[in-house]
Amino acid sequence: MPKPFDAIVIGAGHNGLVHAAYLAKAGKKVVVLERRHLVGGATVTEELYPGFKYSVCSYVVSLLRPEIIEELELARHGLQLLALDGTFTPLPDGDYLARWHDQAKTRRDLVRHSRKDAEAYGQFGTMMYHLSRTVRTLLATVPPEPSSLKPSDLSGLVRLARQFRGLGGDRLYDLTKLMTMSSADFLDEWFESDPLKATMSASGIIGTLLGPRSPGTAYVLLHHYMGEIDGVFRSWGFPRGGMGTVAESIASAARSLGAEIRTEAPIARLLVRNNKAEGVVLENGDEIRARAVVSSLDPKRTFLKLIEPSELDSEFAEGVRRFKIRGSSGKVNLALDELPNFTCFPGDGPHLRGSISISPSIDYLEQAYDDAKYGDYSRRPYMDILIPSVIDPSMAPPGKHVMSIFVQYAPYHLREGTWEEKREAFGDAVVDTLSEYAPNLKNAILHRQVLTPWDLEQKIGLTEGNIFHGELTLDQLFFLRPVPGWAKYRTPIRNLYLCGSGAHPGGGVMGAPGKLAAQELLKDWHGL
Amino acid sequence: MNASARESGRVYARAKSEGGERGWGPASTKYDALIIGAGHNGLVTAAYLAKAGKRVLVLERREVLGGRAVTEEFAPGFKASPTTDLCGLLLPQVLRDLDLGRHGLEILPLDPAVFLPLANGSHLTIWQEHEKTLREIERHSKTDAEAYPRFAQLIQKLTAFLRPMLSQPAPRPNGASPSDLLELLRLAWGVRRLGATHMHQLFRILPMSVADLLHEWFEGEALKAALASRGIEGVFLSPRAAGSAAVFLYHHLGQSGWPLVSWGLPRGGMGSVSKAMAEAAKARGAEIRTGAPVARIIIKNGRASGVALANGDELAAHLVVSSADPRTTFLKLLDPASLDTDFLLRLKRIRYRGVIAKINLALSELPNFTCLPSKEPAAQHRGLIQIGPTMDYLEHAFDDAKYGRFSAQPFLQATIPSLTDPSLAPPHRHVLSIIMQYAPYHLRGENWRDGGEALGDSVVDTLNEYAPNLKGSVLHRQVLTPLDLEEIYGLPEGNLHQGDLALDQMLFMRPVPGWARYRTPVPNLYLCGSATHPGGGISGAPGYNASRQILKDWAKL
Repeated sequence: MPKPFDAIVIGAGHNGLVHAAYLAKAGKKVVVLERRHLVGGATVTEELYPGFKYSVCSYVVSLLRPEIIEELELARHGLQLLALDGTFTPLPDGDYLARWHDQAKTRRDLVRHSRKDAEAYGQFGTMMYHLSRTVRTLLATVPPEPSSLKPSDLSGLVRLARQFRGLGGDRLYDLTKLMTMSSADFLDEWFESDPLKATMSASGIIGTLLGPRSPGTAYVLLHHYMGEIDGVFRSWGFPRGGMGTVAESIASAARSLGAEIRTEAPIARLLVRNNKAEGVVLENGDEIRARAVVSSLDPKRTFLKLIEPSELDSEFAEGVRRFKIRGSSGKVNLALDELPNFTCFPGDGPHLRGSISISPSIDYLEQAYDDAKYGDYSRRPYMDILIPSVIDPSMAPPGKHVMSIFVQYAPYHLREGTWEEKREAFGDAVVDTLSEYAPNLKNAILHRQVLTPWDLEQKIGLTEGNIFHGELTLDQLFFLRPVPGWAKYRTPIRNLYLCGSGAHPGGGVMGAPGKLAAQELLKDWHGL
Repeated sequence: MNASARESGRVYARAKSEGGERGWGPASTKYDALIIGAGHNGLVTAAYLAKAGKRVLVLERREVLGGRAVTEEFAPGFKASPTTDLCGLLLPQVLRDLDLGRHGLEILPLDPAVFLPLANGSHLTIWQEHEKTLREIERHSKTDAEAYPRFAQLIQKLTAFLRPMLSQPAPRPNGASPSDLLELLRLAWGVRRLGATHMHQLFRILPMSVADLLHEWFEGEALKAALASRGIEGVFLSPRAAGSAAVFLYHHLGQSGWPLVSWGLPRGGMGSVSKAMAEAAKARGAEIRTGAPVARIIIKNGRASGVALANGDELAAHLVVSSADPRTTFLKLLDPASLDTDFLLRLKRIRYRGVIAKINLALSELPNFTCLPSKEPAAQHRGLIQIGPTMDYLEHAFDDAKYGRFSAQPFLQATIPSLTDPSLAPPHRHVLSIIMQYAPYHLRGENWRDGGEALGDSVVDTLNEYAPNLKGSVLHRQVLTPLDLEEIYGLPEGNLHQGDLALDQMLFMRPVPGWARYRTPVPNLYLCGSATHPGGGISGAPGYNASRQILKDWAKL
């Protein structure tokens, strides 16, 4: 019999792979089991139309922890991040708003909309920079449990209290506001230009079933800001070869450290005996045993699908059921014969080298949300668009292009009908809306892939299609994520751990949950 | 500046040289404290300061005292309050310390607490008696009836923890003094004593939306809608907005009972609350002057030293306490140029955003509800009649406000105070007192100068769907728009809380971050209104806390 595994990692998404790599780095024998034929989970590149490579789900790298890139030597394993140039917001009145990598250029563009906003923009950036520095340290910290009397928890709490008190009055107040306000209200305090506020607030609504005027969205704004201003390197970046390269480079690092990765190895259930995880059963009936099982799947999938209800503590199960994981977004990927020609900014240009945001006003976003609130997809949705082939020509045949469109809102639960029935109509709404700004788009489409939240669940395994494995709202963050009292990657079932985005600090292609979970697991083993 | 003001300035200078930096000003002035505004918080502050032996004068702009806590005749023989007729948050300390009972205050419990007629011809009634409520909930859902006692216990547990915070100054998370640290430690200790389960629930629920909270517990739309009302009353939030669960808890801090049952009806209307407070203040030696609008606060040597009335009279005092909201206090009664720019910016950022309108109807007969017909006084007339049958209904009502329109299908809370207190209407006639939500202060493309009647019509039409005899029984109608509430009653933007009760405007952030302790950047000028911690509702808590802070500062002299 071969040497048994130390750990089985369920799912080869970026967090599962990061986790495996760190365990392997510590000399542990690890196997990663992936349901699909390729690694990556929601971080994949797929050639769904000959010659055109789609970053099918996630489409940009902004939050990937720099220490992970460094410690796993991801550059050596093929990860190369290409800079994106700012955000371009076409407007219905024929004008546009653009923010560029170059601050002086941004200022010139902002002045056209509001001199006051151009002045405030820099100050706002400074404030967000300082706040994100504080919050960023939380991303790299295992949340202390406030009800615990353990020395490690107490010292963690004291450290936390010190850190917040150390912020000083003004920053503490700003942080309090950011944690509790709506992104629209928060931005109202700083800016007057509607397109600017709308485009900035859009990062506050991504992955949530909330509108820009919903309190709580300002924090998501910060969550997305953390990568954006991580000034040391190109933090809003596109990986050469598409998002799949991120996963492949981590997988390559993990393998070189000794981890085994098996694709097309779907799991049927967890082996749990006497409240102890012993291994997994594959769909083909094979059993694999290990000292620990680590799931990178979201908490609902892990606990409500792979484990017998009788094996689970009922209070914990209730907590998992209460975990909010409402999907609200979809994805449309296009193969294009030519570049979109924006009426307000005709031809090729730098505006196509960054993200293109369809967010002309706060009301526009809010109305898009209204549709979703009552169980329908947005007729005129918010879109965050990228044309990877202008940044990395290898993504499409010469002269052709791929376009990645992140679309919100597309609620998982429709009031009427099913997503299978509505998928193409949803795709049409996206294309129609975008065509209002770039009229040549419709005729340039060679191939279209529409992913509804239902598809994201079916294909990628994201419960309800939620891209963050659970909403990033204050009641589900830090020591409350995913279930209060169970924020340290451990679960009520011994030897079963979580390492996905459903755990602290949450979603985004960040890798932090995978790394922190590895630290905790190793701590448990070394404590044995 | 007239001679007497200059004079008092010189006197002050002498006092300072004798009394050191912390001097309160001239020793020879007639008053220790001038209180701007005879709303309930101004009166409570006055009563406590007077009780401590201070010479206090309360100055009220209107001819009647009480602010929004008044009972006024809106049609010959018909009386009602300009906002709510219900009272459920009054601090027990205030009730007891000021002997409000002896001064004529009597609060009658509402039973049923809530009567919710539904669109499908059914209804839901929440009673004072638990068994009756459970039976009623069971009619709609068996599982909800099973969950309800546990939910009620959770809410009771959390409110029991939060309740003391009403009558304490807000903790200062960044405070460095030993007393600040002690307060923080005491708070942390209190949180830990809740135990893991309830501590987790507290942290989880505070930032939640009331919709999410209720979805976790219940399936019945009517029950959820009935409960959700407490999370959105008087605030610019929808049931799905984060922070509405905190408002829900806030509205349950008054009493330790089951959800929804704590509101009561003061005999004689809301005015009797302020009347009792005024009597209590006077009995302790405070003076109250009505019809005395303050034009400005007088600053001498950088300190508040008195006020100038609109008629030109100047009054000097050791200190000035304003129960008006901070914007009125600092931007209208003071020269904003004299203020720190950072503080001004924070003032400007306070969100008021009033959302209610008040409709008082004089009725020839009681509303006859289709779902529970009766023209004779019955249980459905005695409670809080609430229109808002589903969560989506409430959410849609808010959607209108988001875009600067009043709700086409409004959320209504109505009472018939004349049933409990016949003195409010002529014999066999009735008053229907209706709070309408959402009526945003800022309308788009319209203004409230001519928007009031359309709103009144829409409210009557909405109620008429549930009680079809209503329209024909209206003898008189009074519509108070948010603009009226601002102009007549001094509520900024018509907001009941003098500043929206949102998570970022609570506790140490209220009314502006860094100034949550009733003091202001102007020495000797204090705030004591609903704008300060803990917020609005007829609680008297801001006044109670402010008076304690003032007396504490006084003692240090």
